[in-house]
Amino acid sequence: MFSRTIRKSILDTRIPTSALPPPFLLPNRARFFNTTAQHVEPPTDGFKASEVATPKSPAASSRPAATSSIPSPPPPPPTPASFSPSVKEQLPLLAAQPSHYISAHIHGRPYLVTQGDIIRLPFRMPGVVPGDILRLNRASSLGSRDYTLKGAPYLDERIFECRARVMGTEAEPMRIKEKKKQRNRRTKTVRSKHKFTILRISELKVNNLEDIEG
Amino acid sequence: MSYFRITLMRSGIGLPKRTQGVLKALGLRHRMKTVFYPVTPEVAGQIMKVKELISVREVEKPLTKEELREERKPDPGYYIETAMPRRQA
Repeated sequence: MFSRTIRKSILDTRIPTSALPPPFLLPNRARFFNTTAQHVEPPTDGFKASEVATPKSPAASSRPAATSSIPSPPPPPPTPASFSPSVKEQLPLLAAQPSHYISAHIHGRPYLVTQGDIIRLPFRMPGVVPGDILRLNRASSLGSRDYTLKGAPYLDERIFECRARVMGTEAEPMRIKEKKKQRNRRTKTVRSKHKFTILRISELKVNNLEDIEG
Repeated sequence: MSYFRITLMRSGIGLPKRTQGVLKALGLRHRMKTVFYPVTPEVAGQIMKVKELISVREVEKPLTKEELREERKPDPGYYIETAMPRRQA
């Protein structure tokens, strides 16, 4: 009721936005359609930040089995970067253009994104908490307005740097499905309410050839 | 010691009972099922009976069920680079 009166008063009197009440009195309308309030997960099992920060330490290999669902940083590829002449020729042109897109693959599914995009993953990512920065290292294509670099099937992960920040989780509205068998009065209701992880692409950069090979 | 890695590519539905029996004896009950057998004349004869339905490779070691599952799994494609401090349990 309160929000409606405020909105009506705004429409009627055409007061400038500077005359609005302070933001904490305004109705909370800046929320996605079809979603409920953000649910911040408590940090999960014995995952320690120090182990991630120092992946090269020998202790990282003796990580407990409970964290096996969290991917560990891969070792750097042993082979030196060797690109075909056409890639060597055109990668600086791609890097010179202002904005890029990437088709990043998470668990084998492609997400066509650019910097600043928000992705709602179709699942809740285990072992991450809001604020974590993920490094996306599988991509099938990387491009700008005029150039596209395609992988076969994936690009060399040294070509680009793509980082995503975990924004939190989102929950869908509760779904209730009635299960009814024929010729039987019994009705079973099944409730489901899934959670989804939200990511924001915080950085997307194309590396220089000198940095990759040097 | 080498092994046959046998995968059923086409189903045995509609084939003679004897052919279906060979598939059953090999443990191939569904399409894309993979089994490992040591390289012996007996297994080679069974493979010849159903060679139109399967794909065969020779490998050094048999894989376990978990390893086969890992093989099918796509790469996660991400890792945690900078982690926020976790609550210590």
